[in-house]
Amino acid sequence: MIDQGPRDAGQARELAKARAALYRLLSRVFVAKPTEELLRGLKDKEMLDALAAYEVVFGPDFIAAAEEQQARELAVEYTRLFFGPGPHIAPFESVFVRGEGEDRPRLWGQATVEVANFYREAGLEMAEGVTPDHLSLEFEAMAALAQAEADKRVEGDAESAEQLLAMQDRFCREHLLRWVPALCREVDRSSESSFYRNMALLAQNQVRTQCGENDLIC
Amino acid sequence: MRTISRRDFIKLGVASAAVMAVESQLNPIAYAAEQLIEGGRSVNRTSGLPRSFLPSTCMQCPAGCGIIGYVEESHLVKIGGNTKNLSNQGTLCARGQAGINAVYDPERLLKPLKRVGARGDGRESGAWEEIEWDQAMEEVTGALTSLKSEGGSRKLVFLTEDRFEDDLGTRFTHAFGSPNAIGSLSVFGSNKAVANQITWGADGDMPDVANSKFILVFGANPLESNPQYVGMARRFINGLSSNQAKVVVFDVRLTNTSMMSNQLHYVNPGTMGLLILTMANVIMQEGLFKRSFIEKWTNITPEELAGNLTQYTPERAEAETGVEAAVIRATATEFATTEPATTFTDATLSSHISGVQNERAAMLLSIITGNIDLRGGLCLPRKFDLVEPEPAPPVPAPSALSNPPQFPLASQQVGVGTFKQIKDLVEPVGVLITHGVNPVYSNPDGGMVEDVLRDETLIPYHVAITPFFTETAEYADIILPETTYLEDYNIEVRSSPELVPMVGLRQPVIQPLKETRSFYDIATELATKVGGGMEKYFDFSSVDEYLAARISRIDGLTQIGGLDYLKQHGAWYDPRSRPDYGAYQKAGFNTPSGKIEVKSQQLAEVGAPILPTYQPLTFMGQLSERDMVLTIYDTALQTDAYTANCMWLSEILHDNPVWINPKTAEEMGIEDGDTVKLTRPSNVGEAKERSVTTTAYLTEGIHPKVVAMANGVGHTAFGRIAQAETIPYKEPPKVLRDPNTELVWWSERGIYKGKGVNPKPIVPISLDPVGGGEAWNDMVVTVAKL
Ligand code: SF4
Repeated sequence: MIDQGPRDAGQARELAKARAALYRLLSRVFVAKPTEELLRGLKDKEMLDALAAYEVVFGPDFIAAAEEQQARELAVEYTRLFFGPGPHIAPFESVFVRGEGEDRPRLWGQATVEVANFYREAGLEMAEGVTPDHLSLEFEAMAALAQAEADKRVEGDAESAEQLLAMQDRFCREHLLRWVPALCREVDRSSESSFYRNMALLAQNQVRTQCGENDLIC
Repeated sequence: MRTISRRDFIKLGVASAAVMAVESQLNPIAYAAEQLIEGGRSVNRTSGLPRSFLPSTCMQCPAGCGIIGYVEESHLVKIGGNTKNLSNQGTLCARGQAGINAVYDPERLLKPLKRVGARGDGRESGAWEEIEWDQAMEEVTGALTSLKSEGGSRKLVFLTEDRFEDDLGTRFTHAFGSPNAIGSLSVFGSNKAVANQITWGADGDMPDVANSKFILVFGANPLESNPQYVGMARRFINGLSSNQAKVVVFDVRLTNTSMMSNQLHYVNPGTMGLLILTMANVIMQEGLFKRSFIEKWTNITPEELAGNLTQYTPERAEAETGVEAAVIRATATEFATTEPATTFTDATLSSHISGVQNERAAMLLSIITGNIDLRGGLCLPRKFDLVEPEPAPPVPAPSALSNPPQFPLASQQVGVGTFKQIKDLVEPVGVLITHGVNPVYSNPDGGMVEDVLRDETLIPYHVAITPFFTETAEYADIILPETTYLEDYNIEVRSSPELVPMVGLRQPVIQPLKETRSFYDIATELATKVGGGMEKYFDFSSVDEYLAARISRIDGLTQIGGLDYLKQHGAWYDPRSRPDYGAYQKAGFNTPSGKIEVKSQQLAEVGAPILPTYQPLTFMGQLSERDMVLTIYDTALQTDAYTANCMWLSEILHDNPVWINPKTAEEMGIEDGDTVKLTRPSNVGEAKERSVTTTAYLTEGIHPKVVAMANGVGHTAFGRIAQAETIPYKEPPKVLRDPNTELVWWSERGIYKGKGVNPKPIVPISLDPVGGGEAWNDMVVTVAKL
């Protein structure tokens, strides 16, 4: 049964907050190797339960492993997966998506330019020296918009909040949805680590949810 | 489709927030949510002030990237990338963003200065007096007019800045009646240009790295320094990431590029030419060459070429280059059997006495494998031609300075030797104008350049046109404070790494600061005041008329508004055009034979080897145990003499300790951080200075017989940031107090502290006999602990 929307303003606010937090987490996971704190946090009971709702399940090996060792191994895995040397998955939209007039996807190609233009339109400002269409940055943009939406809901400015929600939907549909599923497949294929496979799955599920491909029910 | 309950989702959010709350090392990707507004208006995050933005072109290095200047209340607050510039497509390097530091440099010259003390005295010495523009122009006009009236027009020497397409300086010089408008390319690497020109009729190349499957790099470093820097680095990374190209680097140093490559092989210094020709030999012997291409498009037969190359056996190469014969064979084979593949070189390979030969050898690899001007291969450069507005001044007959007779093939001029020629009285000088250049810092044997500039019998009058008080401006008689590139107009064309020609505009993103004037205004006013016929070449109603004339033959652009379009968008290229690979098949190559001249009659005429040949460096066999080869490398943070007074850049790169291999250091008893002295042996060339002192930095990232220092630091003028001085000038001559200059924390010398040292003055002038470019990388030094 398709459910028509949040029951009340309070829930809409909580949902926006939740989205902001989840996007921030996803942004963090793909920006650098995990820290011990991050791993410990993910193994928290509440977190594991919450993830299970998205069918993201960590095995007992992952949960039992000592974080210090695990962080070291995942640092190597992060670099191998996303930097190389050798075949790797460059986590940029423009590596996955071919722009109009491009014969094949081009890093810092048309997709990058479109993402940069979206940020400018949305009034989001990038730090110097970052690449607009890096997976982390796209999630960070979603987090910023979701947070702004939550703030507006707190202020009671429902109209601005709805606009900000619409911007999230649009950015997700026009960008993240175009490539996160493909990235998720690649990670699944290339990584032995349940950490990155699960995080990619989480990313994919959330992107689908934002775009209305998954159902949020009461 | 999956379902998830809102309650669970909120729980996930809460748990995520909890993780992020304890996550101590949150990487500051620093995505700042600007005040969110609709409709594409930009506002300041803190003040809420509206911002305007204007596109222009970066000049912090020769690449000419597209920029956008963000301005709040007439103040430039940020420089971003212009996505409409095909070369950089919105990316900028640190130098581009630090352009703000150049405009608001507290030590910028804001009023004309006249020397009242001795030549060469520093700014704070009391040797300088501020004067009004009227007086300054009158004095310069006086010097030029009297030169002209004595019939000495040809005694004007104008040193132009190649970083800016300084065509207006050339126009001025020719209009005045002098041929001596001399560029600085030969200081930075004209040997490559000459080699390319002789071989395939274009003065450059453009490896199509984004589409290549195998990139063979000889000493080049596109990820840190390249004439198309950001645009080329972008395409290089592109080739690596989305095309999974294999990259093999041969170098003497671990560069950023070699760190991203599949293999790095150290090569004994000065032997790269041998290594390359050996690979060519392997390809010919193994029959891996493209016969049809060689037969149709070169002026040599495969048999003749193969016969000539047999002398370069992998075993000989292993002994001389230090690269295993097996590696040479395997690399050559993989290069020849992977399609498409390209070689990649820049000025480093050709900064040798045999530079032209080295570059021609590298081209040979792409030629015999047929990887010429095809997708993913070594391509010809593509560039728009600009128009010299009518009436164009006639070009005066060449002089020994403008076209030194011993370098007939060096059409790019041989400015690196100009000061030596002046010293040797080859041609007399009446007035010297230096525009933007800083030869005291940039040239080899800078001490000799200083001596010449100090000598009033050699240089009777010196006008420096510059925004900054540089090492060279110190030797001026009068300094005209020019605008920076951010307050000035020009049309900028470069060979585009995207292989589609593009044109960019430089326009003022802010109004000229205080009393500074653009070069256009200075040149036009001087031409008008000097008169005598030269004024008619500067009779433009405005700078717009001049600029519009420059682009008047770029058809697609003029149809959509020409200059107005550029003012709005900053750059133009035909959006429908695609790289026209293989255009030579219709028109042939722009060489006497219409083919690629593997055998060069032009070289025969100047007595140089007609085929690509390895010429061992004479000194290589004679290196003693303690002799090392010095290489001076460029970084992505400083551009030679031009950027060190930018706070944001010098904060990162201000020192240049010398790289030494730990094995070598151990033999010499040198430890990390020791103070060491680099001295040129007395039998290696002539230069006034013989030694520099710096700190040792031990690293495996360098060949054991090579030492390396970064270029771009170690200034003795230019400003307190460049000179790492925290102490304000005594009696500050109207120098603003500035929070940046108070923050110079690296004044004290120590590891990674101190202002570094410029090693170039100890390098003798040593020119490739064909290319006329400096052989920077043939420099021998001994290293000793102090
Ligand atoms: S590479 Fe950097 S310094 Fe050079 S033009 Fe581009 S942004 Fe400017």
